[in-house]
Amino acid sequence: MLRRRNTIAGWLFLAPIILLFLTFIAFPLLFSGYLSFTRWDFVSGMKGIEWIGLKNFQNLLHDQIFLYALENAVIYILCIVPVSVICSLILAYLLNNKVYIKNILRLFYFIPYISNAVALAMVFKYLFRASGPINLVLANLGVTDLPQWFSNPSLAKIPIITLVIWTSIGYQVLIYMAALQDVPIQLYEAAEIDGASGTQRFFKITIPMISPTTFYLVIIRTIAVFKLFTSVKIMTGTTSERSSTTLVLEIFRQSFDKYNFGYASAMSWVLFMIILIVTLIQMKGQKKWVHYGS
Amino acid sequence: MKKATVRRKLIATVILFIIGLAFLLPLLWMISSSLKKSSEVFSANFTWIPKTPQYKTYVSVLNSKSIPLLQMMKNTVIIAAATIFGQLLIASLAAYAFACIPFRGKNIVFIMLLCAMMIPSQATLIPRFVLFSYIGLYNTHWALILPAWFSVSSVFLLRQFYQKIPGELIEAATVDGAGHLRIWARIMLPLTRSVMTSLIILVFIASWNELLTPMIFLTDKKLFTVSLGINLYNAGDQDLINKVMAAATIVTMPVIFVFLMFQKQFVEGIMTAGIKG
Repeated sequence: MLRRRNTIAGWLFLAPIILLFLTFIAFPLLFSGYLSFTRWDFVSGMKGIEWIGLKNFQNLLHDQIFLYALENAVIYILCIVPVSVICSLILAYLLNNKVYIKNILRLFYFIPYISNAVALAMVFKYLFRASGPINLVLANLGVTDLPQWFSNPSLAKIPIITLVIWTSIGYQVLIYMAALQDVPIQLYEAAEIDGASGTQRFFKITIPMISPTTFYLVIIRTIAVFKLFTSVKIMTGTTSERSSTTLVLEIFRQSFDKYNFGYASAMSWVLFMIILIVTLIQMKGQKKWVHYGS
Repeated sequence: MKKATVRRKLIATVILFIIGLAFLLPLLWMISSSLKKSSEVFSANFTWIPKTPQYKTYVSVLNSKSIPLLQMMKNTVIIAAATIFGQLLIASLAAYAFACIPFRGKNIVFIMLLCAMMIPSQATLIPRFVLFSYIGLYNTHWALILPAWFSVSSVFLLRQFYQKIPGELIEAATVDGAGHLRIWARIMLPLTRSVMTSLIILVFIASWNELLTPMIFLTDKKLFTVSLGINLYNAGDQDLINKVMAAATIVTMPVIFVFLMFQKQFVEGIMTAGIKG
């Protein structure tokens, strides 16, 4: 009797989330999987869907812009993830009981994270423009050959990288601060009695003890970089800028600018596969790190 | 010995304060530029505080007919509120089922949700677009709200908190004849108010900042969100810069105020949520 009541209640409580899962996750994923083997411009209706087999994926391999987007993702990750994670750790370490007015200082670092992303991207677009404040500072420092941040392909990623690092630190500092508070104080006391210096304690105790958090932050930042859209879209405008473009931006352009729904679906599946692999690495890794946890 | 630590602490405070100020420079520059004449913004003799602050710019930005920012803020608040309500209701019901109702089959659903975590929402944009076009929800706020009701991380987070509630409480309530709906509403929801608050703020910030989906699903300017509104200024030239920065300030400040008001709950929420996240 009770068991039956539990079963009914359980399924009723789960019904809305299951319904949403089927409508907005399972069906779309399968449908875009199907579309990735077709050519379709949407305007011609369902009848216009034309099966072309693996052609989309073959084309992807020769699509310069797509390959640039992948290459850019690697560069973005290499530049953004280490810097933003290391800066966050140092800031969190100092903020944790090594300063006064901790809560006010923490706020400073957190504000960029909660500010409107489009507004910030606009600000950075103006900050980095040829006659903008960044170049003004450089000119005052005596730089004569002022960088053209957006038109020079080798520099075009820098404003984006700066913006992403800047906005990501606030959140990561919070997570690190929580992790640091969980490190047993006895460890530090014991090390201090043994005569370990501050630096030694940081590298021999703090770093290993919070490695699960570091791992977690590296993974979520990596995934976030793969999904980069807003900042790149705003800062590079409407033209396809190969030196800064990203996978999501190209999916957006192929589908909603050019109406190549089949081709864009193939790209979406590549993105899906990449995120899948990164998440699986995370789940595997988490199990390994678990013994640090409690 | 003691004196040395105080001094070290003071130095660290000053250093972090300066770095913190540097962190806020882009935002301060945004506000400063919004109060200048557009010709002043990139002038060679830069000042942080304009000689005569141009408050008029704010009035004209707020009254602009071509980019009705106030309307857009209203739209964004409506979307955020509907998203928060639906997402948290559905997530907390599911979390309750996972944490507190023993029944067969819930593991399958749990694994299903775990799998959903690996699917980036960007990979499902096209079918969602097709779906919404066919059922007539394209170019309505529902196209943004409905998919946002599905949030695995909210479910998992709430489940964690529900698991921490002592089982005796639920047993006692069951003995008193309370059904699950009642236990959920009378025990679980009130006891987990703090995590709910931080989820509300998190979801609010996310929907206030979203650009990709409004860009795809909304075409009617009357329905636009603030992110799309700012984006309309994106095509602008240098003459507009003070207006752009005023608009950027207008959409940034409310969120910062909301955050300042609920800072404590929010920070605590992230700190407990993020670790196990």
